[in-house]
Amino acid sequence: MKRKLFISVSLACFVLMSFSSCSSVKGFQKMYLNDAEMALDPRMLDYFETNFQTYREGASGSNGGKVGGGCGCN
Amino acid sequence: MSSSDQDEFINGDTTEVLQDSYESLEWKAIDFNLLSSYYQQDGNNAAVTGGIGSEALTDFTQKVSLTVPLNKKLSVKFDGGYDYYSSVSTDNIDNVRSSDSSSDIRAHGNIGFSYQLEKQKNISGRIGTSNEYDYFSINSALFYDYKTEDENTTIQLGFQTFQDRWSVIYPREIKNSSSVPTNKRSSYNASFGLSKVINRKMQLFIQLEGTYMNGLLSTPFHRVYFTENSAVKIEKLPSNRLKIPIGIRFNAYLNDWMLARLHYRYYWDSWGIQANTLSAELPLKINRFFAVYPFLRFHSQQAADYFKPYKEHNLQDEYYTSDYDLSKLNSLSYGLGLSYSPAGGIAKFNMPLNQRKFMFKSIDLKYSHYDRSTGLKADIISVGLGFTF
Repeated sequence: MKRKLFISVSLACFVLMSFSSCSSVKGFQKMYLNDAEMALDPRMLDYFETNFQTYREGASGSNGGKVGGGCGCN
Repeated sequence: MSSSDQDEFINGDTTEVLQDSYESLEWKAIDFNLLSSYYQQDGNNAAVTGGIGSEALTDFTQKVSLTVPLNKKLSVKFDGGYDYYSSVSTDNIDNVRSSDSSSDIRAHGNIGFSYQLEKQKNISGRIGTSNEYDYFSINSALFYDYKTEDENTTIQLGFQTFQDRWSVIYPREIKNSSSVPTNKRSSYNASFGLSKVINRKMQLFIQLEGTYMNGLLSTPFHRVYFTENSAVKIEKLPSNRLKIPIGIRFNAYLNDWMLARLHYRYYWDSWGIQANTLSAELPLKINRFFAVYPFLRFHSQQAADYFKPYKEHNLQDEYYTSDYDLSKLNSLSYGLGLSYSPAGGIAKFNMPLNQRKFMFKSIDLKYSHYDRSTGLKADIISVGLGFTF
């Protein structure tokens, strides 16, 4: 398990470092990036679906959903 | 021009003064969102009846959120809502069909704020509560965001706590022989996120979280049946759990009318669950304001160390559960969403008593079907309406 976690964290760091040298995008060049569909947050409506997935699956977190509160016991 | 204005002009601050004057006159719109959903599921592995029996459940949810800008830097946010559900499995807590346990309402509310410390730094927070028949929860959260000067990189730090209390209910037939060490549950979550613009059409977000829970982490009305003499007890699980998910989100414009929104998560916890989740959305821009997005999500997880099906646990086991949410499973969900948000709004109305206009800004619709390898199936339909005034 720890090996897999280590690999995941390392991979995340590698991806971040890979993009650290990206060319800077100026404000006026962000027409596509500013589109609502490009938002990096989950959609407003994902709130409901993420909640039931949190209850119906053992895994949760890192998806904008609930990380606590509510028993989910039904 | 006054002397102070002359000084500002000489110091090159005139632009800033004009900008401040303009922004103070700017119309600060209040955002209001109304969200509703209807969810139904069915399966045959209810935890209340020890891993067998109907999981049929329906849930109707409504939520409202209101964001009120108080000035250029500070805004407050209110949100609240309720879930009304009816469940066949919780109806079986007391083995009396159509009893009081067959349905319940969960109500919740939060108040939060967002404050811009400097141009690139923002702090936000929230306190809130939720309540249902047998469960009460208080939560609080604090977040800090930092953007680089070119706004191509953002770092987010967050901390959340949940302090929960059960009103413990046991299955009727084993009520006298059941007990739990505490009725409290605490959860602490810390998160680190980093978003990065890759180029004009791509950006990604990486998030690492850690959640520590302790207290009563089992559900006191979940039954477990043992191999020996059909003995039955309530579920027993460790009093602490550490969860570590790592998520990567990647969004890209593939061409002028098609995008890809991808999300991958690896999850590990101290109960033995490891999971991989991958989801993909393919928004198609019909025009600048209207998008249709088919989506697909796949989830795979290993079972918790303490899970066994109906009548497979031994009485010597230290911990035991037959809750199929903690079993080895794969799930697939898919569906379609629509998003319509014209720049001028869908409709406008004059507000009485002031000069503001009430604008029906956007509408979102989403349908999703969910299949779990244990046999559980679910459908959810959600609607979101956005307004400003």
